[in-house]
Amino acid sequence: MAIPVYLFVGMLESGKTAFIQETMEDPQFDSGEKTLLLVCEEGENEFEPEKFAGRNNTIVTLEDKSQLTVENLKRWQKETGAERVLIEYNGMWMLQDLANALPGDWMIYQCIMTADGTTFDSYFANMRQLMLDKFASSELVVINRAEAITDKMAVHKAVRQASRRCDIAYEYADGSVAYDDIKDELPFDINAPVIELKDDEFGLWYMDASETPEKYKGKTIRFKAQVCQTPKAGKGCFVPGRFAMTCCVDDITFVGFICKYDDCARLEQRAWIWVTAKINVKYHPIYRGEGPVLTALEVTDAEAPKEDIVYFA
Amino acid sequence: MTKIDIFSGFLGAGKTTLIRKLIAEAYGGEKLVLIENEFGEIGIDGGFLKEAGIEITEMNSGCICCSLVGNFKEALHKVIEQYAPDRILIEPSGVGKLSDVIRAVDGVAAELEGVQLNSFTTVADAGKVKMYMKNFGEFYNDQIEHAGAIVLSRTQSIPQAKLDAALELLRSHNQKASIITTPWEQLNGKQILSAMEQRPDLVAELLAETQVCPECGHVHDHDHEHHHHDHDEECGCGHDHEHHHHDHDEECGCGHDHEHHHHDHDGECSCGCGHDHHHHHADEVFTSMGRETARKYTAAELEFALNSLDSGEFGAVLRAKGILPGQDGWLYFDYVPGEVNVRPGAADVTGRLCVIGSGLDEKGIEGLFGLN
Repeated sequence: MAIPVYLFVGMLESGKTAFIQETMEDPQFDSGEKTLLLVCEEGENEFEPEKFAGRNNTIVTLEDKSQLTVENLKRWQKETGAERVLIEYNGMWMLQDLANALPGDWMIYQCIMTADGTTFDSYFANMRQLMLDKFASSELVVINRAEAITDKMAVHKAVRQASRRCDIAYEYADGSVAYDDIKDELPFDINAPVIELKDDEFGLWYMDASETPEKYKGKTIRFKAQVCQTPKAGKGCFVPGRFAMTCCVDDITFVGFICKYDDCARLEQRAWIWVTAKINVKYHPIYRGEGPVLTALEVTDAEAPKEDIVYFA
Repeated sequence: MTKIDIFSGFLGAGKTTLIRKLIAEAYGGEKLVLIENEFGEIGIDGGFLKEAGIEITEMNSGCICCSLVGNFKEALHKVIEQYAPDRILIEPSGVGKLSDVIRAVDGVAAELEGVQLNSFTTVADAGKVKMYMKNFGEFYNDQIEHAGAIVLSRTQSIPQAKLDAALELLRSHNQKASIITTPWEQLNGKQILSAMEQRPDLVAELLAETQVCPECGHVHDHDHEHHHHDHDEECGCGHDHEHHHHDHDEECGCGHDHEHHHHDHDGECSCGCGHDHHHHHADEVFTSMGRETARKYTAAELEFALNSLDSGEFGAVLRAKGILPGQDGWLYFDYVPGEVNVRPGAADVTGRLCVIGSGLDEKGIEGLFGLN
């Protein structure tokens, strides 16, 4: 049976420990399940397991990243007989390192991020990649000491750069919580007979369609893209996409969805094209699951856009 | 001549505050350029800089992967050509490695005449040393290990035991750096700058005062030393005569007749001049112990400790000197056997004490001063 994993991420001193402590003190969450709590960071506050609602908890502290291995995680789970795992993740580690170390039968059920309102701007400006990495995987980011946040739009944009799904909650000193309710208007009309993307809107559409493919099921779209021919796409398929930058020149990657096109062999690698295609949602091995799969209706040559890189925000 | 000062340190450590203090108090009249590679949280406000006539150059994007790659050298070249400043202050990314910045600056200094890396300092929040070291690892330790000086911020806001523990951790990663433990508002920017440039060395000072040779531990004046080097079969130390000399401790500085006499008539020497030491007894040679501490003392405590040195229990102490933080205000002391002087004095960058003597019981002396 799968072992559910509850993942808590965020920078050092962002309130992860307090958040987990509170969660574990709630008898609704901890009603005695055998729980393994993996701690990858040692901040100022320590856990008080005697206050946890249940009595079946084991805390294991990782001294450094080298201990984050499949073998260790399996062993700790076996030794404790844990039915579920909570992880307090180190803010300086990328989530890929955890993904690489996660045993096959561990399933991430929930990922919640905490952030400190007083350091949010500075940390985001200077450690953008580490923060974006966590936004991208979290379903909720809780910003405590939220009094310090003066520009909620800036926070919203920061989070949206990595994720269009992640909710944002502001927690104030008096215990009150306010949810971010800024609407994310898409700059293109998804109800038009043919959705037309401007040159700089590809990144946004790509992210939105990755997160909520169902929204685009059965729709037709027209956009400018570059040709990527790869055997991974499968027979009669190519990838029309764009080079996108998340943070800086070092992380530029090509992004796009699989597109069926009978005549795709004629397309030159990296050539600029206009694609008009119908969107479906299907399984494809490259997605390791379901995702948007396009069927080209028309492919024509195009001029290169002014800016050959796209951004997600 | 363009001097370059590097200010490294994690976000929120207080780099900007320190730079402001130095601009206001230590860099008077100099033509300055500030290069920032970080999106600071306080930000040195433009008005303040304009008033002080400072040029500010921002390096782009402060994310880990971008900091310092590519055009840093180029930018540095350009700044030097364009402004010909007396000094360039570099505030690299708080999550960058100091060793990378030093290497880049050294590279430019080697290419351009009259450009010199003057200091490389790491600012660290005293209350967070342990936590950051534990969780951040590599880049944080790099900043500590490669610093010429470590300026601690917020030392006044944490308990003494925590500060002591932080100091011990820092020392275990960097034996050589000046570590500034005194709250900044008690110091003048010039004192901080001078400690950033060179570690204050009380031991050397005291050795010079007492004219104990730092190399061999013997008392001799310079003439003698020269003499001694010329005639290397002659020596200056370690026999009855010298003991005699110690008994009259008011005479124990050197260079007077008595000592000359002593030096002139002595057998062999051991001042690193290449001949045998084997016939000297260990306790005839002076050793010195220097300690740094942020511990706060009372005058009574110091007087008690110093008077205890007279017993001989801790070795034959020749001189001791200290500059230490007190409960309120700083305390300076001087000690020669039988004479203890403790007095108030100006704040210094960190507490220091030095003891010179022969056969020193270092552990015992540390105990006297509450250092272990």
